[in-house]
Amino acid sequence: MPQLIPFYFLNQLSFSFFTLLALIYILSKYILPLFTFQQVIRMYITKLSNKS
Amino acid sequence: MATKAATTAVDFARIYSTLGLGKETVAAVQAFRKRHADAQRVHAQYASQPTTVDIAHYRSILKNKAVVDEVEKQLKDFKPVTYDVSAQLKAIETFESKAIAKAKETEEKIDSELKELQSTLANIEEARPFEDLTVEEVGQAHPRIVEAVENMLKKGKWTVPGYKEKFGDMSLM
Repeated sequence: MPQLIPFYFLNQLSFSFFTLLALIYILSKYILPLFTFQQVIRMYITKLSNKS
Repeated sequence: MATKAATTAVDFARIYSTLGLGKETVAAVQAFRKRHADAQRVHAQYASQPTTVDIAHYRSILKNKAVVDEVEKQLKDFKPVTYDVSAQLKAIETFESKAIAKAKETEEKIDSELKELQSTLANIEEARPFEDLTVEEVGQAHPRIVEAVENMLKKGKWTVPGYKEKFGDMSLM
């Protein structure tokens, strides 16, 4: 039944959606904040060392 | 002669200047020293005076022997009055306890200062060079920064103002 062919990709589609969501969650929660944190700290210690 | 030995052994000038005593203590010590010196002076003055009476001399000079006999009898019967020195001793004891308490207080103060200094010294010795500092350590030292970053992220601010101008960024576009 050729009209069913699009549905054969449903598992791939759902899996890729799930992967995308997981990736976004992990990046935004654990990885990307570290960069902001590092930048803030870098600014902070540079200000500290400029003060003295 | 224990008192003499003590006065020669105690170097008062050094006590005043080097021990870092409180004004109250120094005044108390000075007053005590003055009192001791006065007492010593008076004692020396009276000790140098003769204490014996030449009865035979008076007996040969005076005609009225009865008077001399009476005086001799009174002299023999004379007994020095005993003074009750417990009040003074008590005062000395209270002074001593006060001084000891003060000394203990000073000792405790010095002990605590010493401990503080030692902890500071250990801190300095264990400190690592600035280059070895990690982001986590700074975050632990200043939890305020971690909070500030969390707040920034909640508001959607992912960049630090002034960072790009100072350090540049690695984006190609």
